[in-house]
Amino acid sequence: MIEVKNLRKEYSNDHVKTIALDGVSFNIDKGDFVAIMGPSGSGKSTLMHIMGYLDRPSSGTCRFEGQSIDELDDDQLAFVRNEKMGFVFQFFNLLARTNVFDNVKLPLIYSNIPEKEKDKRVLEAIDSVGLSHRKSHTPNQLSGGEQQRVAIARAIVNHPSLIFADEPTGNLDSKSGQQIMEILQDLNDKGHTIILVTHEKYTSEMAERVISLKDGRIVSDSKVAHRRIAKNGLFK
Amino acid sequence: MKFRDLIKISTTALKANKSRSALTILGIVIGVAAVIIMMALGGGAQNLIVGQVTATGSNNIYIEPGSFDPSEHSGGGGYESAIEEMTIKTLKIEDAEAIEKDPLIDKAAPYTFGVARVVYRGEDEKITFYGTTGDANDIDDVYPVLGRSITEDDVKSMSRIAVLGYKIKDDLFGEEDPIGKKIRIKNVSFRVVGVMEEQGTQMFQNLDEIIYIPVTTAQKLLLGADHVQWIIARAVNDDVVPQAVRVIRLILREQHGIYNPEGDLSKDDFKVMSQVEAADMLNQITGVLTAFLSSVAAIALIVGGIGIMNIMLVSVTERTREIGLRKAMGARNKDILNQFLFESIALTVSGGFVGFIIGALVSFASSIALSSVLNTDWKFIMPIESVILAFGVAVLVGLVFGIYPARKASKLSPIEALRHE
Repeated sequence: MIEVKNLRKEYSNDHVKTIALDGVSFNIDKGDFVAIMGPSGSGKSTLMHIMGYLDRPSSGTCRFEGQSIDELDDDQLAFVRNEKMGFVFQFFNLLARTNVFDNVKLPLIYSNIPEKEKDKRVLEAIDSVGLSHRKSHTPNQLSGGEQQRVAIARAIVNHPSLIFADEPTGNLDSKSGQQIMEILQDLNDKGHTIILVTHEKYTSEMAERVISLKDGRIVSDSKVAHRRIAKNGLFK
Repeated sequence: MKFRDLIKISTTALKANKSRSALTILGIVIGVAAVIIMMALGGGAQNLIVGQVTATGSNNIYIEPGSFDPSEHSGGGGYESAIEEMTIKTLKIEDAEAIEKDPLIDKAAPYTFGVARVVYRGEDEKITFYGTTGDANDIDDVYPVLGRSITEDDVKSMSRIAVLGYKIKDDLFGEEDPIGKKIRIKNVSFRVVGVMEEQGTQMFQNLDEIIYIPVTTAQKLLLGADHVQWIIARAVNDDVVPQAVRVIRLILREQHGIYNPEGDLSKDDFKVMSQVEAADMLNQITGVLTAFLSSVAAIALIVGGIGIMNIMLVSVTERTREIGLRKAMGARNKDILNQFLFESIALTVSGGFVGFIIGALVSFASSIALSSVLNTDWKFIMPIESVILAFGVAVLVGLVFGIYPARKASKLSPIEALRHE
């Protein structure tokens, strides 16, 4: 599904060159649950941004479903993000003053599906994260965990094949964090490919595979031996 | 992106900063209101002029001293010609008599005027008096309600009689019957023989505050001059007015001994203008004045537009994360551009709407105020053009001053925007 080859990303700020990614290569298959792990500054967020079509590499290739990012213009990238990808961020990034329903609907206002179908999908997505009773609330009336569940509903409302989760538990207490991980594992069981970015070893072990980065290079890429399963707020 | 979504997003954003949005549109409100008021007052003034032309009859012809210099039309000559009119003394009562003899002319009345103190017993007032003949009644189509008018005999014998304007009678006599009473104008004793009907204000002159006396009496006893200030002639009907204007010119040239076979108007010492021409000219002047004042008012719109641009730029910076999020969710550059453009247009159009309401109310109030102050029927005119203009300009200002912030927003990279703190 994703093919990353010799990926390099450099930033130049005030003539100081920073190398964020330095020759990264790997493949991700459909249905995988991959954690990208590393300390801050290791390039894991940059890698996620490029795979999520939010940023372009300096050199090397990144293919999603066989299509290279270089072959698409900005509008086409937006279209792919809208149709096939979902994003969950550390700071939730919900629109304040906009209720849960409209927050979840956000990706759909940029798509061409019929209005009736949109509303149906929004309700389904809200239901699947267990927030049907909160759909008219605004984000500031919700707890952190609930806000992140809204963000997940928003990420899945367009039925994406690929979901990116950038430190989704980073701003939550451990119980809410476990709930979020449970939902993500659930989504993976239903066939969604999930890419989780985290700096915690603990969280990364809930994925099936962990790619560890340091200073823009892969230091290890292996299956998780003892996968943790989040269920009912408990780890098994 | 659906239009409905655009409206929803914009109203949410504008409501989030209610007082800021309100202050932002203030410039547009003032600009649109000012333009509306200027246009409404200009329209009212033009309506008044046209109305008075039809009221006083379109077959009147005005003869004034002074030459007609075409270059005056390009502006700047008005003041000079006003002085000229005061100093040229060639227009005489005999000219009016000569004009009246022409078969195209029904009546011709000479006019002279002055300002003087009038005294009746203890009452004392400063008034304008017109020295004229009885023909003035027929030309203006106004007659005495009490007593009689000036007669031919009065003019011939230089009688010291006076016909009072309606309001003068009220001021000096109140309920008392003025007929036969003596008043003093500039210390000359006059006998009141009549009171004119109520006329109201015409061309900014309250005709009820005028005293009419025989033109000869005015010349000899009050002004010490033998010329007149203007003559009004009435053609027998509308159709012959242009022809009558030409004939009057020929008569006056002969009277004044001006040799001018080629009809060069600048050689004449008089100006002849039909009522219709005079109204056209006034109309043109008010039109230019309205356009000028409206464009001054329109400057407020530009200032308002800059205010809009300023606030939209602030808004773009404040909402950088939102822009990044929307892009991550699949918004194209065009969607972001539309969103911010729509917001600035929503601001300016609501400003235009409020400005229109305020402008209409103020224009309506001033039409009532002007009607009572000028004692005339000043109509409230709200031309459809000004409604279209108000909203058209509002949309345009929103577009022009919204495009830069909106483009800035749409060009943001999703990553930079998401990272923004």
